[in-house]
Amino acid sequence: MEDNDVINLWKSYDKKLEETLSLNRKNVTDITKIKVGSLISSMRPIKIFTLLVGIIWVILVDVLIIKLYPVASPFFLISATVQVVLTKIAVGVYIYQLILIRQIDIDASILSTQKRLAGLQASTIWITRLLFLQLPVWTTFFWSRRMFETGNTFLYALPIVITLGFTAAALWLFLNIKIENRDKKWFRLIFDGKEWSPVLKSMDLLKEIREYQNEKPVA
Amino acid sequence: MNLVDTSGQFVGVIENHKGILFKIANSFCQNSEDQKDLVQEIVLQLWRSFSNYSREFKYSTWIYRIALNVAISYQRREHRRKQNTQALPEEIFGVADTGMADSMNEHLLLLQQFIAELKDLDKALMLLYLEEKSQKEIGEIMGLSESNVATKVGRIKNKLKQKFLSLKTT
Repeated sequence: MEDNDVINLWKSYDKKLEETLSLNRKNVTDITKIKVGSLISSMRPIKIFTLLVGIIWVILVDVLIIKLYPVASPFFLISATVQVVLTKIAVGVYIYQLILIRQIDIDASILSTQKRLAGLQASTIWITRLLFLQLPVWTTFFWSRRMFETGNTFLYALPIVITLGFTAAALWLFLNIKIENRDKKWFRLIFDGKEWSPVLKSMDLLKEIREYQNEKPVA
Repeated sequence: MNLVDTSGQFVGVIENHKGILFKIANSFCQNSEDQKDLVQEIVLQLWRSFSNYSREFKYSTWIYRIALNVAISYQRREHRRKQNTQALPEEIFGVADTGMADSMNEHLLLLQQFIAELKDLDKALMLLYLEEKSQKEIGEIMGLSESNVATKVGRIKNKLKQKFLSLKTT
């Protein structure tokens, strides 16, 4: 089939559409009456819920640190502080990304718009990296001085080994959760589930855009 | 211009370019419910951007940019149906029951199937090529140089030729 045949085929489709397609003008007019919603109203309830839980958690831990500061063990205070700081950064990054995604100019060229959008969506994995970095402090917040002063070798060697293991895992995940590893089995296992589907699809599109821009023109 | 005039002008623009929206929705979504949802989403985004429309571009160029951007983004969504919290009106298009699907020839159905199977960016490029947009205009919409457009269109056309050829030989 020659180029002209394909174009003519498409024109015949156009002609058929011209004959059969009608616009429901009232419904289009109704769309023009829809007010632009706020950032919150455009978010899905589960995302609002997750964000709220994150904010409430941060406030609670902050209050706990302040109230218990004079009496709590230094292990608890340091663990809670590290945890709450990382959670605050994660919540902040999430809100910042949502705002940036909303501000993207949808009538710019397709490659530039999609590159920005997909890039921002894919960078959501940064939040997961930060949250994984908290792993070790979940194994240290209950430590106490007494544990090391009065316990036997096994009693304090065991938590240290567990914490070292969690630290190694956290650092490994923090360094390896990146777009380049998206096809690895362990990566797909962590990001399994439909809520991660837009992020994985964004990574695939970014790869497609890169290939698109790098394709050499035929001389 | 007041809101009623602007709204009327917008409806007129959509009326004149309704075929573009239908073809894009049809190419990017196979499910008819998703197609309706995508058309609504495109019209909504077009309306939101209508005040920023720049006369340096043709309406069709502006519509293609937004519609293709919305369609490609729509593919990545977790839950496609009804993401807007505000209820959108029912169907935008009516298709007269004249047996359009039955009357489409085999080649046209094959062409549609071929387009549907393409990756999102190739799909966008192919639709613009079929609409006989110039390489310059395709480049403006896609964000590519003219030589890049020529290379990519050539590659997709070759794939299409092979598809039709394999059909002939089977």
